[in-house]
Amino acid sequence: MRAAVLTAVIALTVFAGASAVERTPSYRFPWKEAGLTEREAAAHLLNRFSYGPCPGEIDRVLKIGLDRWFERQLAGRQAEPGLERLDALPALSMPARRIAEVYPPRAVALRQGLQGYRSQRELIGQLMAQKLWRAAGAENQLTEVMTDFWFNHFNVSLTDNQARGYVLSYERDAIRPNALGDFRGLLGATARHPAMLLYLDNAQSAAPMVDRPSRSDFEALPRTRRPRGLNENYARELLELHTLGVDGGYNQADVIQVARAFTGWTLMPPGPRRLVAEAKLRRAEGLGFVVEDEFLFRADLHDVEEKVVLGRKLPAGRGVEDGEEVLDLLARHPATARHVAHKLAVRFVSDEPPRALEERLAGVFLKTGGDTREMLRVLATSPDFWSRRTVGAKIKSPFELAASALRATGGRIEDPRELAGWIARMGQPLYAYQAPTGFPDRGEAWVNTGSLLQRMNFGLQLAAGRIGGVDLDLADLNGRREPASRDEALQVYAGLLLPGRNLEPVLAQLGPMIHNPELAKKVDAGSRAPRPLEQVVGVILGSPEFQRR
Amino acid sequence: MLTRRLFLKAGGIALFTLGAGPRFLARTALAAQGPGPHARRKVLVTIFQRGAMDGLMAVPPVGDAALRALRPRLAMSAARAAGDQAVTDLGVGFGLHPAFSPLLPFWQERRLAVVHAVGSPDSTRSHFDAQDYMETGTPGRKGTPSGWLNRAVGLLGHEGSPFRAVALTPALPRSLYGDAPALAVTDLSQFRVRLPGAEKVASAAGAGFEALYQQTSEELLRDTAGETFRAMDLLTPEEIAGYRPAHGARYPQSPLGQALRQVALLIKTEVGLEVGFAESAGWDTHVQQGTVNGSFARQAADLAASIHAFWTDLGSGYQDDVLLTTMTEFGRTVRENGSGGTDHGHGSCLFVLGGRVDGGKVHGRFPGLSADVLYEGRDLPVTTDFRAVFCELAGKHLGVKDDGQLFPGWTGGRVPLLRA
Repeated sequence: MRAAVLTAVIALTVFAGASAVERTPSYRFPWKEAGLTEREAAAHLLNRFSYGPCPGEIDRVLKIGLDRWFERQLAGRQAEPGLERLDALPALSMPARRIAEVYPPRAVALRQGLQGYRSQRELIGQLMAQKLWRAAGAENQLTEVMTDFWFNHFNVSLTDNQARGYVLSYERDAIRPNALGDFRGLLGATARHPAMLLYLDNAQSAAPMVDRPSRSDFEALPRTRRPRGLNENYARELLELHTLGVDGGYNQADVIQVARAFTGWTLMPPGPRRLVAEAKLRRAEGLGFVVEDEFLFRADLHDVEEKVVLGRKLPAGRGVEDGEEVLDLLARHPATARHVAHKLAVRFVSDEPPRALEERLAGVFLKTGGDTREMLRVLATSPDFWSRRTVGAKIKSPFELAASALRATGGRIEDPRELAGWIARMGQPLYAYQAPTGFPDRGEAWVNTGSLLQRMNFGLQLAAGRIGGVDLDLADLNGRREPASRDEALQVYAGLLLPGRNLEPVLAQLGPMIHNPELAKKVDAGSRAPRPLEQVVGVILGSPEFQRR
Repeated sequence: MLTRRLFLKAGGIALFTLGAGPRFLARTALAAQGPGPHARRKVLVTIFQRGAMDGLMAVPPVGDAALRALRPRLAMSAARAAGDQAVTDLGVGFGLHPAFSPLLPFWQERRLAVVHAVGSPDSTRSHFDAQDYMETGTPGRKGTPSGWLNRAVGLLGHEGSPFRAVALTPALPRSLYGDAPALAVTDLSQFRVRLPGAEKVASAAGAGFEALYQQTSEELLRDTAGETFRAMDLLTPEEIAGYRPAHGARYPQSPLGQALRQVALLIKTEVGLEVGFAESAGWDTHVQQGTVNGSFARQAADLAASIHAFWTDLGSGYQDDVLLTTMTEFGRTVRENGSGGTDHGHGSCLFVLGGRVDGGKVHGRFPGLSADVLYEGRDLPVTTDFRAVFCELAGKHLGVKDDGQLFPGWTGGRVPLLRA
């Protein structure tokens, strides 16, 4: 394990040293044709391929060049000076197996009489912290955006108490390294990860007829999830959500065949039971068992009969290669290409993306073997992406809203808990969407009466410094120059927080609001009322304009 | 003093405030308009008992020898001689755990019914999976994007208010995932523009936001904001802060008690609630389940006191509009375990309370607890699918007609629980 980490570090260093991964762009973005100014174009690019502009970032992007900025983001190899504090999160550097030992579920700890363990709450706190810190402070923003996108595509949930302890390593080991890579890599990594194996129950799926004596030798599964025959959940969602899509041309018979192909895909037991399992596995050498980190292929639970998946025959008598071949088949299927193309277009262009764009993306998917970078290049160079209709057309998710507000204000997250609570109240409990569909990526799903109200409150309270664990220095944003009036404050701060946008209508709308006598009232010393500048910023952050990207 | 507000949605939403006239005038005005979108609605209130309630301790078969044999420490007698160990004999072959006694009057009035040996056909004993299946209403299928209560709302066939579907929970429950707008809120007083300690600023900011959102070109934000601010007019902070339960109802301070208190508030302020959701935790009684006291009795007492307060608070004026049901993901093993508790089982029971309920009865087929009938040799079998119960409730009470849309794949009909 240590050797592997070391190799990875060396590989990273080599990569970072060689600028070869960062391509010189051979394209230009068609923003001029769409009638945008270069500044508007830079803002649009940042709003879509990052969590929103930081103070001064538009100017920096203009200086580098929009296309070069984008290529750097695609390469994802920039140094991360702002993320040094990730070192303070111990679980981030623990292998999944160690995490399970250090942060066991409470019930397990009690049952096994463990001493000196740490709570899963702490683990989840670290999971939240790293996500929020990275979104707010990472240089490689697109890596963060795509990590979020693919996590949601291959959703697992903290609400599942079996999967809970594996969610951090799932994102770190299965999603993040593949976020800008190829689709097959992602698919394989998610299929083998304990979080997915537990969340969609493949860990308890066994050949319907097997009942061999060896079976009870491998008590690899948590107590309530002993094999009870074939479980179709992973197979169904693999087809419907991860690859082909709901209209992808498969039927219930395919679901069962796929489920049979994945029988025996399970995980190594955590804790002391792992040693026992390893000893047994040594005795079972040559029988087709496979162990790779936490993944365990149990040949004794695998259905060895012939299967036919989407018309392709998987011959009898095989083992783990059945599942791998199904993944190969699905990863290059045209329906998968269309499904992934649609989701990417929805994420980056609009809730109802043009069909022609989706088809082009699907074509690139098939041609490149599902290369995420190539698909993102096609997106970013398409006229649809730059059209005026697209600019500002997406409603930010609660997480995007929070991340963009922190970036825009230069806010610093000391303790993520209250912030995560706000994001949940606005309708997006992080890592906790219970259904395997992931959060719906549409405006209507994010905006309802309750959540909209919370968005306004979030803006007001963030600006007023009322969100615990988050530090803002609004005066610093403007180089400590104090605006002489509310109007000036509005003008200056709207420019700072909504860079590259046409401010005239915004100012015309916000102007009367900040002159409301109650808001304009002089704030007495010692009062809990927010200062005028905080009020102005709160109104901007809560405004309709700031909800859009 | 009493302000009756009407809520209309026709294209956009329009709101009319009928001054401070007497309520009966407002009612007359409503009646004159027929059953439009603003009429007082039927309400379905659901309580999810998370952790799997032991249905055999809640409503045990009286004098069952198998139960006594398998539960030497947990079985309770219905005999008077047993004193405070006694369950209340319901006179229909079943008893009621004494902690549920606050519900007895409703049983006697025949408004409370029990459905026994109810549950999901899926064999899972995982809380997560079983709750998920019950909330999506599709046992064995995890990918169903919506929850059954959300689908019920979508099938109501009329426009609704922003308070149409409300969960008094910190996060939206799986039951309410879906396309129909639904609110999750634990404290209604937070449903407004807030800045603690600076209320005047907050209310000025609220007015400002209202004007601001009215002017945005983004239709979704504009319309939703309009609806949001009208919803706040509908339910004012004064009304929330000043809410006093009626008829001497006293809600427990527990999360469930406070949730039901707010459900009652939403019903009695007539803001358009049609589906309410609350939950009760702590039913996973693996260890020291207890009998007349203990962890089961504590949860049962809280559930019963909360429901009792809720029903009392509604009073005769609203009880006819409301149907309440409990649900739990599965039951518990018939045999007690070595820690004085019970483990994950299969069938359980649920309570249904309402004016049209065919009450004072234990519905469903209780198959007994002899070794040959037990599910997988250990659990109370499921003889009534939960979908047959919920189809009946949503069908007869809310008027949801299409059971196949409410529960995709369900063709098992309804179990008769409500009088026509």
